[in-house]
Amino acid sequence: MKANRPAVGLLYNPATPAIVAHAPELVEYLAVMPDRLWFDFGHRVAGRRFHRTLGAIEEVRRHLPGRLLAAHGLGLSLPSAMPIDESFVEAVATMSADLGGFRWFSEHLNLFLTPKGSVPNAQAGLGLPVVYDEESYRIVSAKLRRLRQVLGCRILLENGSFFTPVPDQPMSEPQFLNRLHAHGHCGTLLDLHNLYVSWRNGGIDPDDYIEALDPDAVEEVHLAGGDDFAGFYMDSHSGLTPPAVWNLAFRHIGRFRRLKAITFEFQETYFDVIGLPALVSEMERMHELADCCALAREPEYAD
Amino acid sequence: MLIDFQQALADLTASPDLCLQVRRDAAALHGRYRLNERETRRLLAIVNHPGMECACIVYRANRLAPLALNLAETCRVLGAGLRDLVSDYWARHPEGNVHFFVETERFCRYLEGRLEAGATLPAALPAVLAREAAAVRAGLRESFTEAA
Repeated sequence: MKANRPAVGLLYNPATPAIVAHAPELVEYLAVMPDRLWFDFGHRVAGRRFHRTLGAIEEVRRHLPGRLLAAHGLGLSLPSAMPIDESFVEAVATMSADLGGFRWFSEHLNLFLTPKGSVPNAQAGLGLPVVYDEESYRIVSAKLRRLRQVLGCRILLENGSFFTPVPDQPMSEPQFLNRLHAHGHCGTLLDLHNLYVSWRNGGIDPDDYIEALDPDAVEEVHLAGGDDFAGFYMDSHSGLTPPAVWNLAFRHIGRFRRLKAITFEFQETYFDVIGLPALVSEMERMHELADCCALAREPEYAD
Repeated sequence: MLIDFQQALADLTASPDLCLQVRRDAAALHGRYRLNERETRRLLAIVNHPGMECACIVYRANRLAPLALNLAETCRVLGAGLRDLVSDYWARHPEGNVHFFVETERFCRYLEGRLEAGATLPAALPAVLAREAAAVRAGLRESFTEAA
């Protein structure tokens, strides 16, 4: 791992070991999704709720020496107007301790759960949009405090991708994220592909979004690919990073002085379609991107 | 109320029929949810946004994923009838389960219930469903990886 620049890595999935075996030097960092390393039997089950996929966890453990480890959550739905899922948070903390400690934990700034139901997210990125007002700010910031207290590591929030933006917002999404950062609640995981998805579907211009974001808040960047469906562009993680997203990344990455990691996300069912050589090339390009951050580095925020 | 706004947004995403109903008559929102004027305006804008159709499609695709993955032959046998069946199933069970085997086993029970009730379903369904439901239940048992 090169000092003084962000680490390059992958969101861990069952296809990751093949990439690590082929090009171990290119994978400096792994982000695991706790939600995918256990079976969740839900709140109403009698007895143990989370049953860990022990074989998969051992596989992750084998690849950890010499690499950074962080976690990326999907199931907490922090903006939901309901209490935080304490048993879920405790299970993440247990997994973190078991794997030697997550350097940071990221979640989504999306709505996935409501008191009477859920909006499932298999792979196509359906998180519902959030109202950026004082009430949401209070809900999210309180949950972030609780997360940090239990997990004992830095927390990042990822910008979402939306098909249906909420109109008449008191704050923009960058303003909401900047405020959370300014008050010490979290950093930002800037998903450049999500920005591209929202823009392709009629949302804000990605350059304008990034200009509005505090660059010192950005501590991780996500890259990914998607596909067109029914006249929309989907965050399906089905391919390589589109050229427009690469251009966006190279245009802005030098501003993020506290960037810790650049992460590529893909869905393992597309591994054979994308192909190992293409994935290796993708990671080599990510290292070129990381090298652009070698100048003007600032120290990491303390946990 | 934010809680009702969020619930309405989730319900609309899960139900193209509710979207159409609200598009025709905004009053359909007020019978179900406690919303202020601003929240109502936002929901009406969302439900009339072209992206709402895509959000509904993705919701259905994501809920279909565990069923298509674990009950592929059952889904094939149901053919065009699958659409109405899953719509009814999702209306009865608005809360999806992130555990694919739990979600799929519940759908198996739903189909078994329909068969027992004498619903008109393809003749090949009972045998195919019995075979795939057995595999799903075995997978579910195996997913209890740790002591209770």
